[in-house]
Amino acid sequence: MPQVEYRGMLLMVPDNDSEFGGYFEAAREHRLVVKKCAACGLLRFPPGSGCPWCTSLDWTWQEVRGKGTIYSYEIIAHAIQPGFRDFTPYPVIIVELDEQRGVPTPHDGLRLIANLVDDQFQPEAEANVAIGKRVDVVFQDLSPELSLPQFRLTDEPPAGSVWQFPG
Amino acid sequence: MGRLTDKYCIVGVGETSYSKNSGKTTRAMGAAAICNAMRDAGLGADQVNGVLSYHGGDSTAGPEIAADLGIRPDFYMDCSGGGSSTEALVGLAIGAIEVGMCETVAIFRSMNGYSEVRIGGTGRRAAAPVAGSQLLSRPYGMVSAGQNFAPVFMRHMMEYGTSSAQVAAVKVAHSKHASNNPKAFYRKRYTVDDVLNSRWICKPLHLLDCCVETDNATALIVTSAERAADLRQRPVYVMGVVGRVTKKRGDTFYNDAPITDVAGKYAAERVFGMAGVGPEDVHVTGSYDAFTFTTLLQLEDYGFCRKGEGGDYVSNGIIELGGKRPNNTSGGHLCEGYTHGMSMVIENVRQLRGQADDSCPGWQDGIHTHGYAEGGCRQVREAEISMNLGWANPVTGSALILRR
Ligand SMILES: [Zn+2]
Repeated sequence: MPQVEYRGMLLMVPDNDSEFGGYFEAAREHRLVVKKCAACGLLRFPPGSGCPWCTSLDWTWQEVRGKGTIYSYEIIAHAIQPGFRDFTPYPVIIVELDEQRGVPTPHDGLRLIANLVDDQFQPEAEANVAIGKRVDVVFQDLSPELSLPQFRLTDEPPAGSVWQFPG
Repeated sequence: MGRLTDKYCIVGVGETSYSKNSGKTTRAMGAAAICNAMRDAGLGADQVNGVLSYHGGDSTAGPEIAADLGIRPDFYMDCSGGGSSTEALVGLAIGAIEVGMCETVAIFRSMNGYSEVRIGGTGRRAAAPVAGSQLLSRPYGMVSAGQNFAPVFMRHMMEYGTSSAQVAAVKVAHSKHASNNPKAFYRKRYTVDDVLNSRWICKPLHLLDCCVETDNATALIVTSAERAADLRQRPVYVMGVVGRVTKKRGDTFYNDAPITDVAGKYAAERVFGMAGVGPEDVHVTGSYDAFTFTTLLQLEDYGFCRKGEGGDYVSNGIIELGGKRPNNTSGGHLCEGYTHGMSMVIENVRQLRGQADDSCPGWQDGIHTHGYAEGGCRQVREAEISMNLGWANPVTGSALILRR
Protein backbone atom coordinates (compact mmCIF):
# COMPACT_ATOMS: atom_id res chain seq x y z
CA MET A 1 0.00 0.00 0.00
CA PRO A 2 1.61 3.28 -1.13
CA GLN A 3 1.86 5.78 1.68
CA VAL A 4 3.96 8.81 2.39
CA GLU A 5 4.20 11.59 4.93
CA TYR A 6 3.71 14.96 3.24
CA ARG A 7 3.42 18.30 5.04
CA GLY A 8 2.35 16.63 8.26
CA MET A 9 -0.26 14.36 6.65
CA LEU A 10 -0.08 10.62 6.11
CA LEU A 11 -1.24 10.14 2.53
CA MET A 12 -2.19 6.55 1.70
CA VAL A 13 -3.73 4.58 -1.12
CA PRO A 14 -5.14 1.34 0.32
CA ASP A 15 -4.78 -1.77 -1.86
CA ASN A 16 -8.55 -2.06 -2.26
CA ASP A 17 -8.99 1.53 -3.46
CA SER A 18 -10.78 0.88 -6.74
CA GLU A 19 -11.42 4.62 -7.23
CA PHE A 20 -7.95 6.06 -6.80
CA GLY A 21 -5.52 3.10 -6.95
CA GLY A 22 -5.08 3.24 -10.71
CA TYR A 23 -5.01 7.03 -10.68
CA PHE A 24 -1.99 7.12 -8.38
CA GLU A 25 -0.33 4.16 -10.11
CA ALA A 26 -0.43 6.20 -13.31
CA ALA A 27 0.73 9.33 -11.49
CA ARG A 28 3.80 7.41 -10.32
CA GLU A 29 4.59 6.89 -14.03
CA HIS A 30 3.87 10.59 -14.62
CA ARG A 31 0.71 9.90 -16.56
CA LEU A 32 -2.64 11.59 -15.82
CA VAL A 33 -5.62 9.27 -16.19
CA VAL A 34 -9.38 9.57 -15.82
CA LYS A 35 -12.04 6.89 -15.99
CA LYS A 36 -13.78 6.04 -19.24
CA CYS A 37 -17.23 4.47 -19.19
CA ALA A 38 -17.23 1.13 -21.01
CA ALA A 39 -20.88 1.57 -21.98
CA CYS A 40 -21.35 5.18 -23.14
CA GLY A 41 -17.69 6.08 -23.64
CA LEU A 42 -17.80 9.30 -21.62
CA LEU A 43 -14.79 10.27 -19.51
CA ARG A 44 -15.26 11.21 -15.87
CA PHE A 45 -13.37 12.79 -13.01
CA PRO A 46 -13.24 12.21 -10.08
CA PRO A 47 -12.87 8.50 -10.85
CA GLY A 48 -16.09 7.37 -9.19
CA SER A 49 -17.26 3.76 -9.15
CA GLY A 50 -20.03 4.23 -11.72
CA CYS A 51 -20.97 6.43 -14.65
CA PRO A 52 -22.93 9.59 -13.72
CA TRP A 53 -24.33 9.68 -17.26
CA CYS A 54 -25.52 6.10 -17.87
CA THR A 55 -25.12 4.29 -14.49
CA SER A 56 -22.81 1.63 -15.97
CA LEU A 57 -20.34 0.13 -13.50
CA ASP A 58 -17.89 -0.94 -16.21
CA TRP A 59 -14.93 1.31 -16.94
CA THR A 60 -11.31 1.50 -18.02
CA TRP A 61 -8.53 4.00 -17.29
CA GLN A 62 -7.91 6.52 -20.04
CA GLU A 63 -4.82 8.69 -20.29
CA VAL A 64 -5.35 12.41 -20.94
CA ARG A 65 -2.80 14.99 -22.09
CA GLY A 66 -2.91 16.98 -18.88
CA LYS A 67 -3.39 20.33 -20.57
CA GLY A 68 -6.17 22.60 -19.48
CA THR A 69 -7.43 25.99 -18.41
CA ILE A 70 -7.85 27.54 -14.95
CA TYR A 71 -11.61 27.44 -14.26
CA SER A 72 -11.43 29.07 -10.81
CA TYR A 73 -8.95 29.54 -7.99
CA GLU A 74 -8.25 30.89 -4.55
CA ILE A 75 -5.14 32.24 -2.83
CA ILE A 76 -4.69 30.76 0.62
CA ALA A 77 -3.07 33.24 2.97
CA HIS A 78 -3.84 31.51 6.24
CA ALA A 79 -2.89 27.82 6.21
CA ILE A 80 -5.14 25.57 8.28
CA GLN A 81 -2.76 22.61 8.18
CA PRO A 82 0.46 23.44 10.08
CA GLY A 83 2.50 21.74 7.33
CA PHE A 84 1.34 24.36 4.84
CA ARG A 85 2.40 27.42 6.87
CA ASP A 86 5.71 27.73 5.02
CA PHE A 87 3.86 27.34 1.69
CA THR A 88 1.65 30.47 2.05
CA PRO A 89 0.45 32.32 0.15
CA TYR A 90 -0.39 29.48 -2.21
CA PRO A 91 -2.86 29.12 -5.05
CA VAL A 92 -5.36 26.29 -5.21
CA ILE A 93 -6.80 26.05 -8.71
CA ILE A 94 -9.61 24.19 -10.42
CA VAL A 95 -8.29 22.99 -13.78
CA GLU A 96 -10.64 22.22 -16.62
CA LEU A 97 -8.94 19.68 -18.88
CA ASP A 98 -9.05 20.06 -22.67
CA GLU A 99 -10.68 16.68 -23.18
CA GLN A 100 -14.47 16.52 -23.27
CA ARG A 101 -15.11 20.22 -22.56
CA GLY A 102 -18.79 21.07 -22.83
CA VAL A 103 -19.80 17.41 -23.16
CA PRO A 104 -22.40 16.00 -22.59
CA THR A 105 -23.91 19.39 -21.61
CA PRO A 106 -22.40 22.82 -22.25
CA HIS A 107 -21.45 23.21 -18.59
CA ASP A 108 -19.73 19.86 -18.19
CA GLY A 109 -16.01 19.29 -18.15
CA LEU A 110 -13.27 17.24 -16.51
CA ARG A 111 -12.20 19.37 -13.56
CA LEU A 112 -9.67 18.70 -10.85
CA ILE A 113 -7.97 20.47 -7.96
CA ALA A 114 -4.24 21.21 -7.74
CA ASN A 115 -1.73 23.81 -6.68
CA LEU A 116 -0.36 26.09 -9.35
CA VAL A 117 3.39 25.65 -8.89
CA ASP A 118 6.66 26.87 -10.37
CA ASP A 119 9.66 24.84 -11.57
CA GLN A 120 10.64 24.02 -7.98
CA PHE A 121 7.10 23.00 -6.98
CA GLN A 122 6.81 26.21 -5.00
CA PRO A 123 3.59 28.24 -5.17
CA GLU A 124 3.23 30.31 -8.35
CA ALA A 125 3.22 34.06 -7.67
CA GLU A 126 -0.27 35.40 -7.08
CA ALA A 127 0.15 38.02 -9.82
CA ASN A 128 0.39 35.19 -12.36
CA VAL A 129 -2.77 33.34 -11.32
CA ALA A 130 -5.96 34.06 -13.26
CA ILE A 131 -9.06 32.32 -14.56
CA GLY A 132 -8.61 31.47 -18.23
CA LYS A 133 -4.84 30.92 -18.15
CA ARG A 134 -3.44 27.76 -19.73
CA VAL A 135 -1.78 25.10 -17.59
CA ASP A 136 -0.04 21.76 -17.97
CA VAL A 137 0.25 18.86 -15.54
CA VAL A 138 3.54 18.14 -13.73
CA PHE A 139 4.16 15.37 -11.24
CA GLN A 140 5.59 16.02 -7.81
CA ASP A 141 7.36 12.84 -6.62
CA LEU A 142 6.70 12.62 -2.89
CA SER A 143 8.30 9.17 -2.66
CA PRO A 144 9.27 6.43 -5.13
CA GLU A 145 5.73 5.07 -4.89
CA LEU A 146 3.53 8.19 -4.61
CA SER A 147 3.44 11.19 -6.92
CA LEU A 148 1.06 14.12 -6.82
CA PRO A 149 -0.33 15.69 -9.99
CA GLN A 150 0.27 19.46 -9.93
CA PHE A 151 -0.07 22.15 -12.59
CA ARG A 152 2.22 24.80 -14.10
CA LEU A 153 1.52 27.76 -16.36
CA THR A 154 2.34 27.22 -20.03
CA ASP A 155 3.47 29.69 -22.68
CA GLU A 156 0.23 29.20 -24.62
CA PRO A 157 -2.04 32.21 -24.95
CA PRO A 158 -5.21 32.00 -22.85
CA ALA A 159 -8.21 30.27 -24.38
CA GLY A 160 -10.46 33.31 -24.00
CA SER A 161 -10.63 36.29 -21.72
CA VAL A 162 -8.61 36.19 -18.51
CA TRP A 163 -10.02 37.25 -15.12
CA GLN A 164 -8.12 37.97 -11.96
CA PHE A 165 -9.43 38.79 -8.48
CA PRO A 166 -9.04 42.55 -8.05
CA GLY A 167 -8.53 42.44 -4.26
CA MET B 1 -47.40 16.42 -2.41
CA GLY B 2 -49.55 16.60 0.73
CA ARG B 3 -49.99 19.96 2.41
CA LEU B 4 -48.38 20.02 5.85
CA THR B 5 -49.76 23.43 6.63
CA ASP B 6 -51.44 23.56 10.03
CA LYS B 7 -50.51 19.96 10.90
CA TYR B 8 -47.09 20.27 12.59
CA CYS B 9 -45.47 22.87 14.78
CA ILE B 10 -42.30 23.88 16.54
CA VAL B 11 -43.43 24.34 20.13
CA GLY B 12 -40.20 24.80 22.07
CA VAL B 13 -36.74 26.23 21.49
CA GLY B 14 -33.68 26.47 23.70
CA GLU B 15 -29.92 26.74 23.73
CA THR B 16 -26.88 27.14 25.95
CA SER B 17 -24.62 30.18 25.94
CA TYR B 18 -22.09 30.76 23.16
CA SER B 19 -18.48 30.57 24.29
CA LYS B 20 -14.97 29.57 23.24
CA ASN B 21 -14.57 27.29 26.21
CA SER B 22 -17.74 25.75 27.61
CA GLY B 23 -15.91 23.67 30.21
CA LYS B 24 -18.69 21.12 29.75
CA THR B 25 -19.23 17.94 27.79
CA THR B 26 -21.46 17.83 24.73
CA ARG B 27 -23.66 15.56 26.85
CA ALA B 28 -24.18 18.21 29.52
CA MET B 29 -24.72 20.96 26.97
CA GLY B 30 -27.12 18.88 24.88
CA ALA B 31 -29.16 18.01 27.96
CA ALA B 32 -29.30 21.66 28.98
CA ALA B 33 -30.44 22.79 25.53
CA ILE B 34 -33.22 20.19 25.39
CA CYS B 35 -34.22 20.99 28.96
CA ASN B 36 -34.49 24.69 28.04
CA ALA B 37 -36.61 23.83 25.00
CA MET B 38 -38.90 21.59 27.09
CA ARG B 39 -39.38 24.34 29.69
CA ASP B 40 -40.04 26.83 26.90
CA ALA B 41 -42.74 24.52 25.54
CA GLY B 42 -44.09 23.53 28.94
CA LEU B 43 -43.37 19.86 28.28
CA GLY B 44 -42.38 17.22 30.83
CA ALA B 45 -40.03 14.31 30.18
CA ASP B 46 -42.94 11.90 29.80
CA GLN B 47 -44.34 14.02 26.98
CA VAL B 48 -41.25 13.82 24.74
CA ASN B 49 -40.66 10.46 23.05
CA GLY B 50 -38.52 11.21 20.03
CA VAL B 51 -34.89 12.38 19.96
CA LEU B 52 -33.01 13.37 16.81
CA SER B 53 -29.56 14.81 16.45
CA TYR B 54 -26.83 15.38 13.89
CA HIS B 55 -23.10 15.54 14.32
CA GLY B 56 -19.74 14.85 12.76
CA GLY B 57 -18.33 12.44 15.30
CA ASP B 58 -18.07 15.33 17.74
CA SER B 59 -21.12 14.96 19.97
CA THR B 60 -23.03 12.69 22.35
CA ALA B 61 -25.64 10.16 21.22
CA GLY B 62 -29.32 10.90 21.81
CA PRO B 63 -30.08 8.04 24.23
CA GLU B 64 -27.41 9.20 26.71
CA ILE B 65 -28.82 12.71 26.77
CA ALA B 66 -32.41 11.44 26.87
CA ALA B 67 -31.51 9.33 29.91
CA ASP B 68 -30.15 12.41 31.68
CA LEU B 69 -33.54 14.07 31.25
CA GLY B 70 -35.79 11.11 32.04
CA ILE B 71 -36.94 10.85 28.44
CA ARG B 72 -37.66 7.31 27.17
CA PRO B 73 -37.52 7.53 23.38
CA ASP B 74 -39.85 5.50 21.20
CA PHE B 75 -37.72 6.81 18.36
CA TYR B 76 -34.22 8.20 18.14
CA MET B 77 -31.60 8.68 15.44
CA ASP B 78 -28.17 10.27 15.52
CA CYS B 79 -27.50 11.36 11.96
CA SER B 80 -24.21 12.22 10.38
CA GLY B 81 -24.26 15.81 9.19
CA GLY B 82 -23.57 19.45 9.79
CA GLY B 83 -25.16 22.51 8.22
CA SER B 84 -28.55 21.99 6.55
CA SER B 85 -29.37 19.10 8.90
CA THR B 86 -31.72 21.04 11.19
CA GLU B 87 -34.30 21.67 8.48
CA ALA B 88 -34.03 18.11 7.17
CA LEU B 89 -34.53 16.67 10.67
CA VAL B 90 -37.65 18.78 11.20
CA GLY B 91 -38.99 16.98 8.14
CA LEU B 92 -37.88 13.58 9.46
CA ALA B 93 -39.50 14.33 12.83
CA ILE B 94 -42.78 15.14 11.09
CA GLY B 95 -42.51 11.89 9.12
CA ALA B 96 -41.87 9.87 12.26
CA ILE B 97 -44.87 11.44 14.00
CA GLU B 98 -47.10 11.12 10.94
CA VAL B 99 -46.38 7.42 10.60
CA GLY B 100 -46.96 6.84 14.31
CA MET B 101 -43.45 6.10 15.54
CA CYS B 102 -43.67 8.80 18.21
CA GLU B 103 -45.60 11.96 19.16
CA THR B 104 -43.18 14.71 20.16
CA VAL B 105 -39.58 15.00 19.00
CA ALA B 106 -36.66 16.92 20.49
CA ILE B 107 -33.99 17.78 17.89
CA PHE B 108 -30.60 18.84 19.19
CA ARG B 109 -27.10 19.77 18.08
CA SER B 110 -24.36 19.91 20.72
CA MET B 111 -20.77 20.75 19.89
CA ASN B 112 -17.65 22.14 21.49
CA GLY B 113 -16.91 23.66 18.11
CA TYR B 114 -14.00 25.73 19.35
CA SER B 115 -12.53 24.07 22.41
CA GLU B 116 -12.79 20.42 21.30
CA VAL B 117 -13.39 19.67 17.61
CA ARG B 118 -13.00 22.56 15.19
CA ILE B 119 -14.61 22.33 11.77
CA GLY B 120 -11.57 23.12 9.67
CA GLY B 121 -9.85 19.79 10.11
CA THR B 122 -7.35 20.86 12.73
CA GLY B 123 -6.88 19.23 16.14
CA ARG B 124 -8.32 15.75 16.49
CA ARG B 125 -9.36 15.58 12.83
CA ALA B 126 -5.88 16.42 11.48
CA ALA B 127 -4.30 13.20 12.74
CA ALA B 128 -6.36 10.86 10.54
CA PRO B 129 -4.66 9.41 7.44
CA VAL B 130 -5.62 11.02 4.14
CA ALA B 131 -7.09 8.50 1.69
CA GLY B 132 -9.84 8.10 -0.89
CA SER B 133 -11.42 11.22 -2.30
CA GLN B 134 -9.66 13.34 0.35
CA LEU B 135 -6.53 12.78 -1.73
CA LEU B 136 -8.03 15.12 -4.33
CA SER B 137 -7.98 18.15 -2.04
CA ARG B 138 -6.13 17.82 1.29
CA PRO B 139 -2.64 17.27 -0.18
CA TYR B 140 -3.14 20.60 -1.97
CA GLY B 141 -3.74 22.43 1.30
CA MET B 142 -7.50 22.55 0.75
CA VAL B 143 -9.21 21.31 3.88
CA SER B 144 -11.43 23.85 5.65
CA ALA B 145 -14.91 24.91 4.59
CA GLY B 146 -13.63 28.30 3.50
CA GLN B 147 -10.87 26.75 1.43
CA ASN B 148 -13.35 24.34 -0.14
CA PHE B 149 -15.93 27.01 -1.02
CA ALA B 150 -13.64 29.89 -2.06
CA PRO B 151 -13.28 28.88 -5.74
CA VAL B 152 -17.09 28.94 -6.03
CA PHE B 153 -17.15 32.47 -4.58
CA MET B 154 -14.30 33.54 -6.87
CA ARG B 155 -16.12 32.24 -9.92
CA HIS B 156 -19.27 34.17 -8.87
CA MET B 157 -17.21 37.37 -8.79
CA MET B 158 -15.96 36.62 -12.28
CA GLU B 159 -19.31 35.65 -13.77
CA TYR B 160 -21.43 38.38 -12.21
CA GLY B 161 -19.06 41.15 -11.16
CA THR B 162 -19.86 40.66 -7.48
CA SER B 163 -17.54 42.80 -5.36
CA SER B 164 -15.93 42.24 -1.97
CA ALA B 165 -17.64 45.38 -0.68
CA GLN B 166 -21.08 44.04 -1.63
CA VAL B 167 -20.39 40.74 0.09
CA ALA B 168 -19.09 42.54 3.18
CA ALA B 169 -22.53 44.13 3.57
CA VAL B 170 -23.74 40.75 4.86
CA LYS B 171 -21.37 41.03 7.82
CA VAL B 172 -22.43 44.64 8.36
CA ALA B 173 -26.12 43.67 8.49
CA HIS B 174 -25.68 40.63 10.70
CA SER B 175 -23.41 42.53 13.10
CA LYS B 176 -26.08 45.24 13.48
CA HIS B 177 -28.56 42.52 14.39
CA ALA B 178 -26.12 40.88 16.81
CA SER B 179 -25.61 44.18 18.60
CA ASN B 180 -29.26 43.87 19.66
CA ASN B 181 -28.92 40.25 20.74
CA PRO B 182 -27.62 39.92 24.31
CA LYS B 183 -26.72 36.24 23.66
CA ALA B 184 -24.50 36.99 20.67
CA PHE B 185 -20.82 36.14 21.02
CA TYR B 186 -19.80 39.21 18.94
CA ARG B 187 -22.03 42.22 19.58
CA LYS B 188 -19.81 44.82 17.90
CA ARG B 189 -21.13 46.57 14.79
CA TYR B 190 -18.81 46.37 11.80
CA THR B 191 -18.48 48.52 8.68
CA VAL B 192 -17.70 47.46 5.11
CA ASP B 193 -14.21 48.89 5.58
CA ASP B 194 -13.71 46.83 8.74
CA VAL B 195 -14.34 43.70 6.66
CA LEU B 196 -12.20 44.80 3.70
CA ASN B 197 -9.34 45.78 6.01
CA SER B 198 -9.36 42.53 7.97
CA ARG B 199 -6.62 40.07 7.07
CA TRP B 200 -6.91 37.58 4.24
CA ILE B 201 -7.85 33.99 5.09
CA CYS B 202 -8.24 32.58 1.59
CA LYS B 203 -8.92 35.07 -1.17
CA PRO B 204 -11.62 36.19 -1.80
CA LEU B 205 -12.44 35.69 1.92
CA HIS B 206 -11.25 38.10 4.61
CA LEU B 207 -11.24 37.15 8.27
CA LEU B 208 -14.51 39.02 8.83
CA ASP B 209 -16.15 37.17 5.93
CA CYS B 210 -15.85 34.02 8.05
CA CYS B 211 -18.14 32.99 10.91
CA VAL B 212 -17.25 32.65 14.56
CA GLU B 213 -16.49 29.17 15.98
CA THR B 214 -18.13 28.48 19.33
CA ASP B 215 -19.03 25.88 21.94
CA ASN B 216 -22.80 25.61 22.16
CA ALA B 217 -25.85 23.35 22.09
CA THR B 218 -29.24 24.11 20.57
CA ALA B 219 -32.58 22.29 20.62
CA LEU B 220 -36.08 22.57 19.28
CA ILE B 221 -39.22 20.51 19.75
CA VAL B 222 -41.63 19.38 17.02
CA THR B 223 -45.12 18.01 17.60
CA SER B 224 -48.57 17.93 16.03
CA ALA B 225 -50.81 20.98 15.98
CA GLU B 226 -53.29 19.01 18.07
CA ARG B 227 -50.79 18.59 20.92
CA ALA B 228 -49.40 22.08 20.45
CA ALA B 229 -52.75 23.57 21.37
CA ASP B 230 -52.30 22.74 25.07
CA LEU B 231 -48.71 23.93 25.35
CA ARG B 232 -47.18 27.08 26.77
CA GLN B 233 -46.17 28.98 23.64
CA ARG B 234 -47.98 30.18 20.59
CA PRO B 235 -47.23 27.38 18.09
CA VAL B 236 -45.17 28.09 14.99
CA TYR B 237 -46.45 26.05 12.04
CA VAL B 238 -44.34 24.25 9.45
CA MET B 239 -45.51 25.29 5.98
CA GLY B 240 -42.83 23.54 3.95
CA VAL B 241 -39.62 21.65 4.51
CA VAL B 242 -37.00 20.10 2.21
CA GLY B 243 -33.56 18.65 2.81
CA ARG B 244 -30.84 17.66 2.28
CA VAL B 245 -31.15 18.39 -1.43
CA THR B 246 -28.01 17.94 -3.52
CA LYS B 247 -26.90 18.88 -6.99
CA LYS B 248 -26.31 16.00 -9.37
CA ARG B 249 -22.58 15.83 -8.64
CA GLY B 250 -22.80 15.82 -4.86
CA ASP B 251 -19.32 14.32 -4.69
CA THR B 252 -17.47 17.55 -5.48
CA PHE B 253 -18.17 21.28 -5.56
CA TYR B 254 -16.57 21.79 -8.95
CA ASN B 255 -18.11 19.31 -11.36
CA ASP B 256 -21.79 20.25 -11.55
CA ALA B 257 -21.48 23.58 -13.31
CA PRO B 258 -22.30 26.40 -13.20
CA ILE B 259 -20.55 25.89 -9.87
CA THR B 260 -22.02 29.21 -8.73
CA ASP B 261 -25.47 27.59 -8.66
CA VAL B 262 -26.09 26.00 -5.28
CA ALA B 263 -28.46 23.24 -4.17
CA GLY B 264 -31.15 25.80 -3.39
CA LYS B 265 -32.02 25.94 -7.05
CA TYR B 266 -33.43 22.42 -6.74
CA ALA B 267 -34.87 22.90 -3.26
CA ALA B 268 -36.74 26.12 -4.03
CA GLU B 269 -39.48 24.77 -6.27
CA ARG B 270 -40.19 21.89 -3.94
CA VAL B 271 -40.36 23.89 -0.71
CA PHE B 272 -42.34 26.84 -2.09
CA GLY B 273 -44.72 24.42 -3.80
CA MET B 274 -45.28 22.60 -0.52
CA ALA B 275 -45.86 25.84 1.38
CA GLY B 276 -48.04 27.44 -1.26
CA VAL B 277 -46.14 30.72 -1.00
CA GLY B 278 -43.30 32.39 -2.89
CA PRO B 279 -40.23 34.41 -1.92
CA GLU B 280 -42.27 37.65 -1.97
CA ASP B 281 -44.47 36.30 0.85
CA VAL B 282 -41.55 35.72 3.24
CA HIS B 283 -41.00 38.42 5.89
CA VAL B 284 -37.75 37.27 7.45
CA THR B 285 -35.02 34.92 6.22
CA GLY B 286 -32.41 32.90 8.03
CA SER B 287 -29.53 32.00 5.75
CA TYR B 288 -26.61 29.78 6.61
CA ASP B 289 -23.86 32.35 6.99
CA ALA B 290 -20.80 30.21 7.54
CA PHE B 291 -19.37 32.92 5.29
CA THR B 292 -20.77 36.22 4.08
CA PHE B 293 -20.84 34.77 0.57
CA THR B 294 -22.97 31.72 1.43
CA THR B 295 -25.87 34.04 2.32
CA LEU B 296 -25.69 35.71 -1.05
CA LEU B 297 -25.67 32.45 -3.02
CA GLN B 298 -28.64 31.03 -1.14
CA LEU B 299 -30.75 34.18 -1.43
CA GLU B 300 -30.18 34.10 -5.19
CA ASP B 301 -31.03 30.47 -5.73
CA TYR B 302 -34.15 30.57 -3.56
CA GLY B 303 -35.36 33.41 -5.75
CA PHE B 304 -35.22 36.38 -3.37
CA CYS B 305 -33.38 38.11 -6.18
CA ARG B 306 -32.32 37.15 -9.68
CA LYS B 307 -29.25 34.98 -10.23
CA GLY B 308 -26.17 37.17 -10.23
CA GLU B 309 -27.89 40.07 -8.45
CA GLY B 310 -27.14 38.84 -4.94
CA GLY B 311 -24.40 41.42 -4.50
CA ASP B 312 -26.95 44.20 -4.95
CA TYR B 313 -29.61 42.45 -2.85
CA VAL B 314 -27.41 42.04 0.21
CA SER B 315 -25.93 45.54 0.05
CA ASN B 316 -28.99 47.75 -0.45
CA GLY B 317 -30.55 47.50 3.00
CA ILE B 318 -33.17 44.83 2.27
CA ILE B 319 -31.57 42.28 4.63
CA GLU B 320 -31.15 44.68 7.57
CA LEU B 321 -33.61 45.14 10.43
CA GLY B 322 -35.97 47.85 9.24
CA GLY B 323 -35.44 46.67 5.64
CA LYS B 324 -37.92 44.81 3.49
CA ARG B 325 -36.79 41.32 4.45
CA PRO B 326 -34.26 41.10 7.29
CA ASN B 327 -31.89 38.15 7.27
CA ASN B 328 -30.36 36.48 10.33
CA THR B 329 -31.85 38.85 12.89
CA SER B 330 -29.86 37.12 15.66
CA GLY B 331 -26.55 37.93 14.01
CA GLY B 332 -26.27 34.42 12.66
CA HIS B 333 -23.14 32.34 12.50
CA LEU B 334 -21.09 35.39 11.57
CA CYS B 335 -21.78 37.04 14.94
CA GLU B 336 -24.12 35.21 17.33
CA GLY B 337 -22.36 31.84 17.35
CA TYR B 338 -22.03 28.61 15.45
CA THR B 339 -24.12 25.49 15.93
CA HIS B 340 -24.60 24.21 12.41
CA GLY B 341 -27.72 26.09 11.47
CA MET B 342 -30.16 25.35 14.27
CA SER B 343 -29.68 28.75 15.92
CA MET B 344 -31.17 30.49 12.87
CA VAL B 345 -34.27 28.28 13.03
CA ILE B 346 -34.62 29.08 16.74
CA GLU B 347 -34.35 32.80 15.95
CA ASN B 348 -37.10 32.61 13.34
CA VAL B 349 -39.38 30.78 15.77
CA ARG B 350 -38.87 33.61 18.26
CA GLN B 351 -39.49 36.22 15.56
CA LEU B 352 -42.80 34.59 14.59
CA ARG B 353 -43.85 34.47 18.23
CA GLY B 354 -42.94 38.15 18.59
CA GLN B 355 -40.45 37.10 21.25
CA ALA B 356 -37.07 38.16 19.95
CA ASP B 357 -35.03 38.25 23.18
CA ASP B 358 -33.61 41.74 22.74
CA SER B 359 -33.24 44.65 25.15
CA CYS B 360 -36.90 45.63 25.05
CA PRO B 361 -38.18 45.20 28.64
CA GLY B 362 -41.40 43.54 27.49
CA TRP B 363 -39.98 41.16 24.89
CA GLN B 364 -41.32 38.07 26.67
CA ASP B 365 -44.83 39.45 26.29
CA GLY B 366 -44.20 40.48 22.70
CA ILE B 367 -43.86 44.19 23.50
CA HIS B 368 -41.19 45.78 21.32
CA THR B 369 -40.06 49.30 20.41
CA HIS B 370 -38.95 48.39 16.88
CA GLY B 371 -36.12 50.89 17.35
CA TYR B 372 -33.20 49.12 15.75
CA ALA B 373 -30.37 51.38 16.96
CA GLU B 374 -27.42 49.68 18.66
CA GLY B 375 -28.42 47.91 21.82
CA GLY B 376 -32.12 48.19 21.03
CA CYS B 377 -34.85 46.05 19.50
CA ARG B 378 -34.47 43.30 16.94
CA GLN B 379 -38.09 42.19 16.55
CA VAL B 380 -39.33 42.38 12.96
CA ARG B 381 -42.72 44.10 12.67
CA GLU B 382 -45.60 41.77 11.88
CA ALA B 383 -43.39 38.82 11.01
CA GLU B 384 -45.81 36.14 9.85
CA ILE B 385 -43.76 33.93 7.53
CA SER B 386 -40.10 33.04 7.88
CA MET B 387 -37.77 30.93 5.82
CA ASN B 388 -34.56 29.15 6.74
CA LEU B 389 -32.01 28.40 4.05
CA GLY B 390 -29.84 25.52 5.20
CA TRP B 391 -26.40 24.97 3.73
CA ALA B 392 -23.86 22.20 4.14
CA ASN B 393 -21.82 23.20 1.11
CA PRO B 394 -22.49 24.56 -2.38
CA VAL B 395 -24.00 21.26 -3.53
CA THR B 396 -26.09 20.41 -0.43
CA GLY B 397 -28.88 22.45 1.12
CA SER B 398 -32.22 22.45 2.95
CA ALA B 399 -35.09 24.84 3.52
CA LEU B 400 -37.84 25.38 6.07
CA ILE B 401 -40.79 27.75 5.79
CA LEU B 402 -42.60 28.60 9.03
CA ARG B 403 -45.64 30.72 9.86
CA ARG B 404 -47.21 31.97 13.05
ZN1 LIG C 1 -21.65 5.81 -19.13
